[in-house]
Amino acid sequence: MFTGPVEWGPRMFGRSTHFPGLWRGLFLMLALFGFLLPAWLPAQTLVELLNDPKMTPKRFANYFEYFEYEFSAEVQPPDVFLARKRGDCDDYACLADLVLTKKGFETRLIQVQLAGMVDHAVCYVTESKAYLDYNNRKVFFTLSHCRPQLREIAQDVADSLDSNWTSAFEFTFSDDTKQIAATVVKTAPPKDDPVPGKKAGPSAQPTGNSVKVGF
Amino acid sequence: MKDKTVQRVIAVFFAIAAVLMVVAIVSVRNVNRAIASSDWVNHTHAVIMEADAIQSSLHAGDGALRAFLLTGDARDKGASREAFGAMSEHFEVARALTKDEPAQAAKFARLQDLLNQRMGFARQAVAARDADDTGTVRNLLAADAGGATMQEIIRLIETLKGEEKVLLTERDKASFLQAQTTRWTVGSGLVINVVLLVGVAWLIWDDIGARRRAAVILAEANATLETRVKERTAELAETVEKLVAENQERRWSAQAMEHQLRYSQLIFNSISDIVMVLSKAGNITRVNPAASRWTGLAASEMISKPFARVMRVSATDGGTLDPVAQAIKDGHELHEHPAVMMAGDGHTHPARLSLFPLRDRDRVVGAVVSIRIVANAA
Repeated sequence: MFTGPVEWGPRMFGRSTHFPGLWRGLFLMLALFGFLLPAWLPAQTLVELLNDPKMTPKRFANYFEYFEYEFSAEVQPPDVFLARKRGDCDDYACLADLVLTKKGFETRLIQVQLAGMVDHAVCYVTESKAYLDYNNRKVFFTLSHCRPQLREIAQDVADSLDSNWTSAFEFTFSDDTKQIAATVVKTAPPKDDPVPGKKAGPSAQPTGNSVKVGF
Repeated sequence: MKDKTVQRVIAVFFAIAAVLMVVAIVSVRNVNRAIASSDWVNHTHAVIMEADAIQSSLHAGDGALRAFLLTGDARDKGASREAFGAMSEHFEVARALTKDEPAQAAKFARLQDLLNQRMGFARQAVAARDADDTGTVRNLLAADAGGATMQEIIRLIETLKGEEKVLLTERDKASFLQAQTTRWTVGSGLVINVVLLVGVAWLIWDDIGARRRAAVILAEANATLETRVKERTAELAETVEKLVAENQERRWSAQAMEHQLRYSQLIFNSISDIVMVLSKAGNITRVNPAASRWTGLAASEMISKPFARVMRVSATDGGTLDPVAQAIKDGHELHEHPAVMMAGDGHTHPARLSLFPLRDRDRVVGAVVSIRIVANAA
């Protein structure tokens, strides 16, 4: 059963702005069905997540309902994040990328640079046409549906935080470093945006950073 | 007046709607421009922040690297790698942000070379330290003394930041001007609409005033008319009263005259002598019953006939002139003048005739003839 606390108000839907009547009605209907939803799934280790045979993006998000927010400049190793049950957006997004990729989902790690705020990372799942956002782990709709274009995702993320964005990039994470694959700048013409998705075209393929650390 | 006012009010309201529409369109465009300007301001801030982050990450990485080179602690090495990784990430973002600015792109190309040089130095130093080759480490550090590359990187970043700050000033000014334009547009629209509304209010007020004045004038006219009607009614009533009285008097007068006439007729008819009234031309105009009796002619047979037909009057003193006609003409009377009356049956009767001229304001208009039969010849 769905027994977890629900944040009342607009944030329930992963948005901090409007809560229209239509959605309110829809919510009431879904709240009734909420009793039939699966219970919160406590995540223990990375192995348990990888061995979950029913893993889906929605199920993945359910593991993190009671995780706390704690900012860190670096991405935590998955087991550390799972054990501490606290972390930030890129811990969650990188772990989602790792787990869902292993389960056959096509994922994209997106980091959005926000004006006057800390950057925000999400994990876009192509099959679900939605992204997983650590900020939405406690709300009913843990998946935020969005079109796959990097610009669209950046705008959606910025809107959810009532903020402006300046740039966004798609990256891969390995060896504790982010390798930037494609970048979008808000002030640049949209026609110059990269084709979305890792398999969409050559311009979207990871090219790696131009300044190599290498040790 | 009413139609004109309504037309004017409608026209002004259309003008207000048009102004509102123009203000809305221009404001939306200005807001969009202001958002774009704001985006550019945010963009410039982001470039400056990324440049700062490159510098700080570089310093952090360099510090951690030197600590690692001194201590050999893996945590310092990790910290250095993470800091340089963050620097690399910030560099990518900053370069992407300035890719459409040729001058900045050239500087970032140079910065990339310098950072890669620095990373080359770091990799060499880490490799030497990992191999416990302290001599190489010492030589590398000695060669890096003074930090020429670092100084150049910092100078380049400062130059980049300086130029971005100039851009920031320009873009912030553009954003401010956009906001001013929006304010000016909304303010102007507001002023125009207020003026138009005041105009409408004045038109309506003027119309109401005109209507009030017209109503007052109409009320006054009605009051005057009512007074006149009352006066005229009173005059008419007085006139009617006078006419009624006059009519009464005239009726009484007519009755008196009729009575008088009847009385005169009775007198006239009761005379046993023949009495005839003649016109100035000598024609009979009236006779009494005695005339019909003596002449044997009906009154109607005598009326308008010359007097000479029924009476032959002897000329005076053997003259030839008709004494009756002469007396009427001269306006003198005849008394007991010898005459012969000719009856209808052919008989004649000697008679005496007296004539009295009829005068109307000293003018002879006829005569009254009295005939007395002297003896009956029959």
